[in-house]
Amino acid sequence: MNALEFQDVSFSYPGGHEVLRDISFSIKKGEKVAIVGLNGSGKSTLLLHTNGLLIADSGTVSVNGKVIDRKNVEECRKSVGMVFQNADDQLFMPTVEADVAFGPRNMGLPEEEIKCRVEKALRQTGCSELKDRAPFHLSGGQKKMASIATVLAMEPSILVFDEPTSGLDFAAEAQFIGIVDRLPHTILMSTHDMDLAHRLCTRAILMDRGSIAYDGPIDTLPYPLISTL
Amino acid sequence: MSDALVSPAVAAGAGIVAAALIGVAASKVKKIRRDDIIPLMGVMGAFVFAAQMINFSIPGTGSSGHIIGGVLLSAVLGPWAAFITLCSVLIIQCLVFADGGLLALGCNILNMGVTSCLIAYPLIYRPIAGSSLKPWRISLASVVASIVALEIGAAGVTLETELSGITALPTSTFLAFMLPIHLAIGAIEGAATAAVLCFLAKYRPETLYGEYVAVESASPKRFVSRSGRLRPVLICFGIATLIFAGAFTWIASSNPDGLEWSIEKVSGISEMPSATPPTAIMPDYDSRFAGIVGALIVMVMLWAVTTIIFHRIRSAQKTHSED
Amino acid sequence: MQQTRLEKAITILNARQDKPEVASHIGDIDARALLIVTVVYLVAMLSVPLQRTDAIIWFAVYPIISAPLAHIPYERLFRNSLYVLPLLFFIGIFNPIYDHTPSFIVFGITVSTGWISFISILIRGLLATQALLLLIHVAGFNEMCESLRRLGFPGVIVTQLLMVYRYLEVLLQEALTMQRARLARSYGRSSFRASMWGAFVGQLLLRTIERSHRINMAMKARCFHGSLSTSPPSRWDTAATVYCLIWIPVILTLRFLDITLLLLSLLQ
Repeated sequence: MNALEFQDVSFSYPGGHEVLRDISFSIKKGEKVAIVGLNGSGKSTLLLHTNGLLIADSGTVSVNGKVIDRKNVEECRKSVGMVFQNADDQLFMPTVEADVAFGPRNMGLPEEEIKCRVEKALRQTGCSELKDRAPFHLSGGQKKMASIATVLAMEPSILVFDEPTSGLDFAAEAQFIGIVDRLPHTILMSTHDMDLAHRLCTRAILMDRGSIAYDGPIDTLPYPLISTL
Repeated sequence: MSDALVSPAVAAGAGIVAAALIGVAASKVKKIRRDDIIPLMGVMGAFVFAAQMINFSIPGTGSSGHIIGGVLLSAVLGPWAAFITLCSVLIIQCLVFADGGLLALGCNILNMGVTSCLIAYPLIYRPIAGSSLKPWRISLASVVASIVALEIGAAGVTLETELSGITALPTSTFLAFMLPIHLAIGAIEGAATAAVLCFLAKYRPETLYGEYVAVESASPKRFVSRSGRLRPVLICFGIATLIFAGAFTWIASSNPDGLEWSIEKVSGISEMPSATPPTAIMPDYDSRFAGIVGALIVMVMLWAVTTIIFHRIRSAQKTHSED
Repeated sequence: MQQTRLEKAITILNARQDKPEVASHIGDIDARALLIVTVVYLVAMLSVPLQRTDAIIWFAVYPIISAPLAHIPYERLFRNSLYVLPLLFFIGIFNPIYDHTPSFIVFGITVSTGWISFISILIRGLLATQALLLLIHVAGFNEMCESLRRLGFPGVIVTQLLMVYRYLEVLLQEALTMQRARLARSYGRSSFRASMWGAFVGQLLLRTIERSHRINMAMKARCFHGSLSTSPPSRWDTAATVYCLIWIPVILTLRFLDITLLLLSLLQ
């Protein structure tokens, strides 16, 4: 059983042109995959299909063997944790602790369990001293770590990152790499930063105008990418 | 509106009405079938703050003004969600920026939130603008709705202050000041609202609350932006404002006897109600004055004493922590 | 350089930095107690008839004592409250103009009830503002919202308050960035012409709406189903009870006991 599987997925936004065209790939448990490509190639749209925020027009997306449909979307969001590009969009509660507890609380877990998960997620991301801070007073790097903690607290099996290091400085990026490297989850990451992709991922998928142009080991990804398109 | 200008009774009355309306609005908002309504209201509230800090220059006066935003919010969020959003803005203005009194919140919510979102928008803006995207209709609706909202609000402030028995200013004079000024302010607010709504109608009409008739969008040629139409509307209202203001001032100034007459008739306030507590005998003149002076002296002494005490405690703490 | 209103607001917000180290004597008390005492104070003080200026002055006891308890010098609190004076002056000055009833004679001058009520308006305005500033300084906004929730306010409005506060600085910064970009190309004009203002604010509005869509997606991705549930522990403890039990009787005494009369009779 694959962790994540796309089969002939096509999608267009209402009133728009086709953004994804017959996308098929599968990711095994524990794999770390980078999605690369130009802006507008469909990377973000593809990521939004992994947790049912968008539902494909045709084709199927399966998470841990179960096909995502409108009925089990909530369930699958417990397995797929998405870290969005802009941390400010993800930290919307008054304190970091409240944000990290948001997911588990929505899942209906008992308070003891929530407390446990929050502490663990904060520790994993090095945010333990930040838990009573208000999000708008944190630095860019701190916000990014906190937003990762909010997702880790839900204990998903798959982590999806959309441009995780955009806007981060060297130190924050190094911190990010250090933390994500140690995570055992299956990871899907869209990025422009080829250095980051090489450091963290073993496999790369290259998107070009809605289709997959390359899917294989990251070391043999043709570089510079522009020559392949 | 400041706390000093209301009596607790008036504030409580306004507060109860405001709280009831917030409760109603809360239940209406829960039923809105827009799944992003909660984050939308949240960021729109923050947006209103930001928008209120961006001044525009008022042509011909050399001064600048800013928008309040009630009608604008309603046109985007709908009346009940806009009401909640505007209430949150007023509460935060009070509890974060100390802008506006705490007890007076109920009054402020009535004068600004209810007038624009729950009265002016549904009764004036929607009937005039309908679901049209035409700039002239939106502009007309915005200006009339804003003027009505501000006039009712001005009347509300007057009423609340007069009922509180704070001011010796007769109601009619107060109104004669407030109404013309708010007519002008309302016209300006309406123009500003119209400017933003026309922008939205042109570029992103789907952001506006309400259904848009397919016919309108099916014939885009009828939709050439006619924002040049805004200027004649403004000129008309400007002239109307000047006429009103002139008329009121003339009435007020040419009838000084009328004012004396109205002081006695309209306000019972020329005899200030001095409902002294039952333990007090009516102090004679000098001891009343002595009372004020005495109280002041004691307060200054108290301040001096507390400052010294806490100064001592703080420096003791500091030396203690330096050990 | 003159700060624009945006910059001033951002400065105020930043100054309200999370205050974990403000170890003031009353910083830890449950915000509900602080709110209740402030409301009782305001109701009591503002219900004093305007002719009893002396009684109003006695109410200064609360800010004078609370300010050092909150680690602010009273002078600073007093100075910060002065901003309400212009408006109160403008409204209050009509009292001496319209009301000439004589009240008492001092140093040969007849003082009218109009002047007395005018002074009273100014004083009570200052005291009310000081009480509010104290509340703001001591109780964090987030705690105040949670206390509103526990006092029975609808969840929708509390969530709304928390969220507006959360995104306030973000929006102000965004507006400031846009404003600076525009200022750099506008040869010194600091306010907008009407047509440009509409487009500027319209752009900000659209970006706000797009932001709300992204936040919504982030919420749904974490299993949000429409109502925010928080269960913070209740912090009402003995300190809060003591705080109320001390101040509420004091305030009621200030309101209902004629202190001037008492002192005068003692002195005789």
